Amino acid sequence: MMMMNTCGNNLSQECIGVRERCEELAKSSSFYRIVYSEIEEIGWELLRRLGGDLTFFSFHVLDKKRRAHILEIQLHRDYPKSPPSVSADVPYMFTLEWSTSSRLKDVMHQFQKHLDDLQDFWSVLDDIDKSLSVVDAKQPSRASPVRRIHAGNDCILVIHINFDDPKSLPECRFIGPVPPATHMNNLHNLWRRNSKKWSKEVSFPENLECILGTELPKPPGLQEEDDHQQIECGICYAQFLPTDAELGARSGTRTDYTCESISCNKSFHSLCLTDWLRSITTTRQSSDVLFGNCPYCSDPVAVKINNK
Amino acid sequence: MTSSSAPSRKALSKIATNRLQKELVEWQMNPPTGFKHKVTDNLQRWVIEVIGAPGTLYANDTYQLQVDFPEHYPMESPQVIFLHPAPLHPHIYSNGHICLDILYDSWSPAMTVSSICISILSMLSSSTEKQRPPDNDRYVKNCKNGRSPKETRWWFHDDKV
Repeated sequence: MMMMNTCGNNLSQECIGVRERCEELAKSSSFYRIVYSEIEEIGWELLRRLGGDLTFFSFHVLDKKRRAHILEIQLHRDYPKSPPSVSADVPYMFTLEWSTSSRLKDVMHQFQKHLDDLQDFWSVLDDIDKSLSVVDAKQPSRASPVRRIHAGNDCILVIHINFDDPKSLPECRFIGPVPPATHMNNLHNLWRRNSKKWSKEVSFPENLECILGTELPKPPGLQEEDDHQQIECGICYAQFLPTDAELGARSGTRTDYTCESISCNKSFHSLCLTDWLRSITTTRQSSDVLFGNCPYCSDPVAVKINNK
Repeated sequence: MTSSSAPSRKALSKIATNRLQKELVEWQMNPPTGFKHKVTDNLQRWVIEVIGAPGTLYANDTYQLQVDFPEHYPMESPQVIFLHPAPLHPHIYSNGHICLDILYDSWSPAMTVSSICISILSMLSSSTEKQRPPDNDRYVKNCKNGRSPKETRWWFHDDKV
């Protein structure tokens, strides 16, 4: 998310320059003039990238659920006689309807409509990403209808969502240890036996858990948000610091520090972490911040010393 | 000086007590293979039975580990020694002291009694000869007054065994 913001800022600054350059070019030929006015119609703030000769550019488009998409447009030299080529991060591309009187904003409209048609498809996928433990997918491509879902005991479900009918029973394959473990055979049998129970009325994760008759592993991030009250400190193993005269105002406080390494993500009481960092010689201090390493993953950590 | 046999150490802090209770519960539910915690009501000193892994020089041998926890565990490592008779091993002295980095400089609160035990068993299992460290007699003589191994300055020169 942060990455996207940073990018956006840089690009919008760049766009101001791009607009000026484009304006210059527009004076020189009718092709540039057309492109300039048609981008203007859509809005410069939506422009994300622009090729030097104005034949390639991309627009930032939000769908109804405010998911961000990028529409890439390639113009040919005889534009607008020949239609532009379009591509985007979608599972399949729409057929562009084009006439000589069409303009870029028509492309945008058609793309927007295409996005509308895909809302259910992405809602199902977002639901999966949000509530199940998906294999190596921090930010899966919007085009991908496939999700690999952890099903416990080293078994993985490979789910293929049908974009024409995303709420229907998906195609499902099972991947697991070789030779197949009982757990996997069980899952496979349950899937075959219970797939009739699939209902479009309930969410994908609910369907999956109903058919497999088991609760599937939750994504690591969600577990933490859900059980925010229940995160134990990686050092003292308690959620709350004990009530102790020595701890003063920090008696009974929750974990308040998390290792920033994504693969580690361990939580600590900053008090426990500072106590640990102070007890080893490799820790460095600069004003009121201790610099050391996470006791779990050894990645650098920096903790502010909180005076009692 | 801390005596290893009659600890004059301070009682466990609240944080240490809480953490050790959780470690003990976890141990009881999921004990490391080859180890048995001898039940006592002393949370600050655990006595653990070790059985040498099958197929190694120590197969079927039984030893006892004594684990003493400092007041500020896990900020400090526990003191871990073998009770008499200690296994014959190039990194284990006849007084039970163990030359293993994670017990001293490389300790981290991410480790547990259980992970220490596994490291010790793996150290035993990879040994190719039942032999005392070359400096055993000198070292043991220096420790005569009941010095804790945590006060020794260890050199960890060999990670093969």
